[in-house]
This record gives sequence, C-alpha cells and structure tokens, in this order.
Amino acid sequence: MMSMRTLVTRSGPLLACLGLLGIWQIAALILNTDSFPTAMDAIRAIPSILGDKESLINILASLRRMAIGFSLAVMLSIPLGLTMGRSRGVASFFNPLLMVIYPVPKAALMPIIMLWLGVGDVSKTLVIFLGVSLPVIYHSIQGAKAVEEKMLWSGAAMGLSAAQRMIRIVLPAALPEILTGCRTGLVLALITMITSEMIARQSGAGNILFNALDMGQYDTVYAMIIIIGAMGIGLDAAFEKLRAQLVNWSEPRFDLPLSFS
Amino acid sequence: MNARAVTTDVLLGMVPIALLIGLWQAIASFGYAPVALLPPPGAVFMRLAQQLATTAFQQEIGATLFRLFAGFSIAVILGVGIGLAAAASSAVNAVVRPLVRVLAPLPKVALYPALLLLLGFGHESKIILVAADALFPILLSTYYGASTVEQKLIWSAMAAGTPRRQILFKVVLPAAVPSILTGCRIGLVISCIVVFLAEMIASTDGLGHLLVAAARTFQAVDMFVPLITISLLGLVLNGLLQAVRSYLLRGFPEV
Repeated sequence: MMSMRTLVTRSGPLLACLGLLGIWQIAALILNTDSFPTAMDAIRAIPSILGDKESLINILASLRRMAIGFSLAVMLSIPLGLTMGRSRGVASFFNPLLMVIYPVPKAALMPIIMLWLGVGDVSKTLVIFLGVSLPVIYHSIQGAKAVEEKMLWSGAAMGLSAAQRMIRIVLPAALPEILTGCRTGLVLALITMITSEMIARQSGAGNILFNALDMGQYDTVYAMIIIIGAMGIGLDAAFEKLRAQLVNWSEPRFDLPLSFS
Repeated sequence: MNARAVTTDVLLGMVPIALLIGLWQAIASFGYAPVALLPPPGAVFMRLAQQLATTAFQQEIGATLFRLFAGFSIAVILGVGIGLAAAASSAVNAVVRPLVRVLAPLPKVALYPALLLLLGFGHESKIILVAADALFPILLSTYYGASTVEQKLIWSAMAAGTPRRQILFKVVLPAAVPSILTGCRIGLVISCIVVFLAEMIASTDGLGHLLVAAARTFQAVDMFVPLITISLLGLVLNGLLQAVRSYLLRGFPEV
C-alpha cells in the first residue's frame, strides 16, 4: 500500500505531462484548424528535427552558450550577493543599480549588444549571463542576511578571518537559498537563450522555432515547443536532484498541506 | 535607522549609476565608439524627455501598461486562489503539485508562437503570456506562505468557534500576506520583462515594438529610449507595490 502511494507520488509529474498532452490532443481535435496540430502530430515531428544534423548542432550550440553564461553568472553573482548580504555599505552601493537593471528584459538588450559585439556567441552568452545574475544575487543576499549572528561570532572568537568566515560559515549556511536562486536562474537562462536567438536569427533552438513559425511549418513549431519544454523540465529535475544531494541537511520545504479542513 | 544613515545609503547607491553614466559619456565624447553605435547619454535623455511629451509615445506606454496590468492581475487572482486552495485541501494539492512541477520550469516564451497562432497578434496572446509567466512565483509563494501559518493560530480560531470555511479567509490569508507580496514583487518584475519581450516578438505596438522598429532602422538613440522607459516603469511600479505593502502590513512586526 505504501509503495503504491510512493509510486503515485513519484509518477505525478509524468501523469501531469500525459494529462496535458491529452488535453492538447482533445482541444486540437475539437478546434481542427491547420495552425493547431494535434499532440500526436507534433510528437511525430520531433524525430525528424532531432535526426537532422544541422538542427541538432543548433540545439547543442544553444545549450553550450547557456551553460557558459549560466556558470559565469553563478560564479560572479554568489560572492557579490553574499558580500551584499553581510555588509550594509556594499549593499547600498549596488542596490539602486540592480533595481534599475532588474525590470529591463535582458534579451531586449540584444539589438544594442549586437551592434557592439556582433551576432555571434559572445553577445548571446553575455545576455544569458545578465539574465541569470540578478536572481542569483538576490537570493544570495537573502541567504547571507539570514545567517545566524552567533555562528559568525563563534567563528570570529575561534580566530577565523573575515574571508574564512565568509567561505566556511556564510556560504554553507546560505547554500539552500543560493540554490533556489540558481534554480530560478536556470529557467531564466533558458528563456533568455531562446529570446536572444529569436532576435539574432543566426543559430540555435530559438532560431529553429521562430523560423518555422514564419514559414508556417506548424508541426515543427509545436515539436520545438515540446523539445524546449522538455529541456526546461529536464534541467529543472536534474538541478533538483543535485540540490537534494548538496543540501540534504536542510529541511525539505513545507511539503504538507494544512490540517484544518 | 536614522535619516542621516538613509541619506548616506542613497548617496552611496547613486555612485555606481553616476559612474556608469560617466563612463558612457566618456566613451561617447572621447570618440571610442561612433555615435551611431553609442549615442551620448545627454542625447538619449533629451530624446526620452521629448518623446514622453508626445501623445504617440504615451499611447505606446499605455498599450504596454494595459497588457502588463491585465496579465499581472490575472496572475495574482489565479495564483493566490490556487495557492490557497492547494494549501488548504490535500485533494487540490495532489492535482496542483505535479502540474506546477511540470509547468513552472517550462520556458513560457517558447509557448508564445502557439499563443500567437491560436489567439492572434492582439492583446490576448500577450496578456496570457504575461499571466502565465507571473503566475508561478505568486502561486508558489502563496502556497508556502499559507502552508507555514502557525498551527496554533488555526487551533485558536477553531477553539473560538470560527467556522472552518472562514478560517481560510480570516486566519490563513492574512497570515500569508507578507509571503504573497514577496511573490507579487517577483511576478511584477517578470511581467515587465515578459510584456516587453512579447511586444518585441509580435511587433504591433507598445514599447517592445518601438525598440524593434528602431533596431531595424539602426536608430541607436531610439533603441535606448524604450529600454530606459521600461526600467523607469519597473521602478515606479515597484515603488507602488512597496506602498501597498507598507499599507497592508501596517500591523505586522518588522521583518
């Protein structure tokens, strides 16, 4: 009985996927228009995209840019965020600048950055870098702020220097929050990647998607949507696994519904 | 925190922005970059002031704001509603949880071509994209806020004879407000970003369209104007949300 329950919980996301595809299939059958193929048609178009060498190279190139942009952003944002969280001076120095940058869509900088750096990998990676940085910085600040003061005092009393305290106390204590930020950043990286490729139509997954839209190849459009969606869900699930490994000491976040109804 | 410390903070915060604009001016005026690529900041801000006064530009801002608010409101209503329902009932929770796990990490921009094909290039597709993107942070933070309400509060309300149905609105919802507002803040920033992107992709009107139109004709000055406008809009909206927050949370202890 118990194993049955865990089985159902484990397969929940899978069931949700199947349910959504089912709803899509039914809706497409009811609407029955050219611009909205059924889920089956879209899935059938996937092998021809992934089988095509050029498309595959395009998609891998996208993923490479995303990986580089994401890693660079994480490496720079975590130290900055942690310092901002611990030092009021540093925080008030950078805060207004970040607040000004935050609501600007990073992919919208693409046309300007393209003027300076061209349409190549550098501008796309830079845009992804910018998109990922802000949530990671924000969550690192929150994490560093919430570190218990007493632990820092004990560290200082035992002779840790400020830098050592940062690495050995603040960083581990803030890690769950930082990883939450990285998770948001990962989804944002994917979004920025696709939009930047849509604007600079040269290569990549976004390029295939929007070119197919322009040429009216609707099966390809929907198949690309499924591929990109699967990338998002897959990356998120993989990251969640990694997170569980890294911070299995931290309490899982409120997994039970309230008990009053 | 006294007034003097706040002033110092504000002044300190102005430094990097001033430096950035200074650097921009320096690059432009020492001729490191041609004006066609990087117009001097003075020209850009003059242009912005000029544009803000014209009705055509105001209409573009209006279109963007309308979509932003419509999408954001839908996201708030659905997000708070579903979040509360998922926290209160285990049946709803069992349905919502796997759906959220699948839909939250999905890059919604990729759905936009489908929305365009189904709903056309008008307001609807853009509003729905904004709502879909802003929904999940609001839903998740409502859920977390509502499911961490102290059980003692609920028990006290029950002991005092509050009907179970009313506990949701009299105890759980107010207690979850700080968390909901944090989600709304993230949702608002996302709305600003997404509405702009949607307008860039299906370029009919709005600020995003202005950027694309300027980029097509290589008018560098006009490319900066919509970007600065959306940044300012974000700041103003964030300020409004802060005001709402301090009004709604006036009885809460400072966090």
